[in-house]
Amino acid sequence: MRANFIFSEVWIGLRRNLTMTIAVIVTVAVGMGLLGIGLMINSQVSSLTGYWTDKVELSVFLCEKNSPFPACKNKGAITEEQKAALKQTIESLPDVERVDFEDQAKAYENFKDGGNNSILLSVIKPEDLPESFRVKLKDPDKSTAVQDSLKGQAGVSNIVNQRQILESAFGFMEKLRNMALGVAILMVLAATLLIGNTVRLSAYNRRRETGIMRLVGASNVYIQLPFVMEGVIAGLIGGVFAAVLLIFTKVFIFEQIQTYTAAPLTWNTVAFVITVTMIIGVVICLLASFVTLRRYLRV
Amino acid sequence: MIHFDNVTKVYANQNRPALDHVSVDVDKGEFVFLVGPSGSGKSTFLRLVLKEERPNSGAIHVAGKDLAKLSNFKVPHLRRRIGCVFQDFRLLPKKNVYENVAFALEVIGKPRRFIRKVVPEVIELVGLEGKAHRMPEELSGGEQQRVAMARAFVNRPMILLADEPTGNIDPATSIGIMKVLDRINRTGTTVLMATHDAAIVDSMRKRVVELEDGKIVRDQSRGVYGQAY
Repeated sequence: MRANFIFSEVWIGLRRNLTMTIAVIVTVAVGMGLLGIGLMINSQVSSLTGYWTDKVELSVFLCEKNSPFPACKNKGAITEEQKAALKQTIESLPDVERVDFEDQAKAYENFKDGGNNSILLSVIKPEDLPESFRVKLKDPDKSTAVQDSLKGQAGVSNIVNQRQILESAFGFMEKLRNMALGVAILMVLAATLLIGNTVRLSAYNRRRETGIMRLVGASNVYIQLPFVMEGVIAGLIGGVFAAVLLIFTKVFIFEQIQTYTAAPLTWNTVAFVITVTMIIGVVICLLASFVTLRRYLRV
Repeated sequence: MIHFDNVTKVYANQNRPALDHVSVDVDKGEFVFLVGPSGSGKSTFLRLVLKEERPNSGAIHVAGKDLAKLSNFKVPHLRRRIGCVFQDFRLLPKKNVYENVAFALEVIGKPRRFIRKVVPEVIELVGLEGKAHRMPEELSGGEQQRVAMARAFVNRPMILLADEPTGNIDPATSIGIMKVLDRINRTGTTVLMATHDAAIVDSMRKRVVELEDGKIVRDQSRGVYGQAY
């Protein structure tokens, strides 16, 4: 009897305010979807950071004939003695784990494997590529310090810190995440206000019924539950749409870029994000309904 | 059953109190008319009994409970022991007679079997047998008020509050309404009725409490409407 009664009331309420209900569902879906995307980017960034940090290297490029870098200007190619001295200097640094020498032939192999386009490959010859030392660090956080101490050594043309390249890529993802979260917050705010309005309309439409319920001594829970349920059901439907949106994002965006990122976003993470957004969506609807009811449904 | 001790009620933004140091006692099973001009405090009195309003000072006891000590959480339970009838009937237009009466039991969570048993009984008590499936709009004013009384009484309250129940009903029909109220009173229910209707008060010969400007100016057993000192 109880459940029956409450669900029929909820159904009537949702149908009477159909446009408002749809507005709530859409805002909750978009808001929670963006929140979820933000969370997914966040988990992607942290898993990528973990994956790449171990592999970060410093590439110490060496001077050759006609090197355009100012450090090598008018000095010609690095001599064998300089090369040996430089290697020793690098190896003597406390933060360095390992130093590998990459000659022009090996650099050309790597260049070919790097997926560069065929026109570029046909023009570039092994002699065009610089020799370099590949420096693996014990502690990736020290990369900048090591980079600074090697700068200006004789025969060094340029030092590329992979960490800085990664950081700019992560920085871009983090900006994307912040944007998604920012919009999500706005949408949550909009959803809260919309739910408040819907519940208010609902309470007004049913003031006769609630007035009688109050008089005959229906408990507050009994009077308020249909209204709260309306908000929660709208939130739940919005949450389902958000979940679909998140699954699409995983399949069509994250799985496309995963080729480059090497640390794929797992379905476990997606499931976790969906659960979190669902719960947040429903809780927001619950609170918004409750707060409005306290104002518009005097008990 | 209803006990007012020096009760004063001043509404916000008003200087004059709606009730001014009112003390009155209504015993179990009594039938009391509350009379007086508009704005004399009759409705405020009824609202205070229901704890829809709180007094500014004084104590109110209803059905043995001190309303000041009754938490908001327990107010619904108080209201289950009080039936209410109004001038404007307050029926649900989309429900028929049976459903209107059953609604009062549904929303306090009574089992379906109980509802099926008691609702026809009370519909018969108010004299609407055979009309259980009519819609309110198909009924006369008097019949609608009977539905409202059935709804107020279906949970067997200890107290029945009636706020001008005959206000929208012609005198001939009003007699029928009063007979139903009298029948309810005879089951042991305390009836408190606010009214303007002098003919009814005079014919019933029950206790009369007269309010004027928020003060009790007369409390007379077996009284009449007009001044009868």
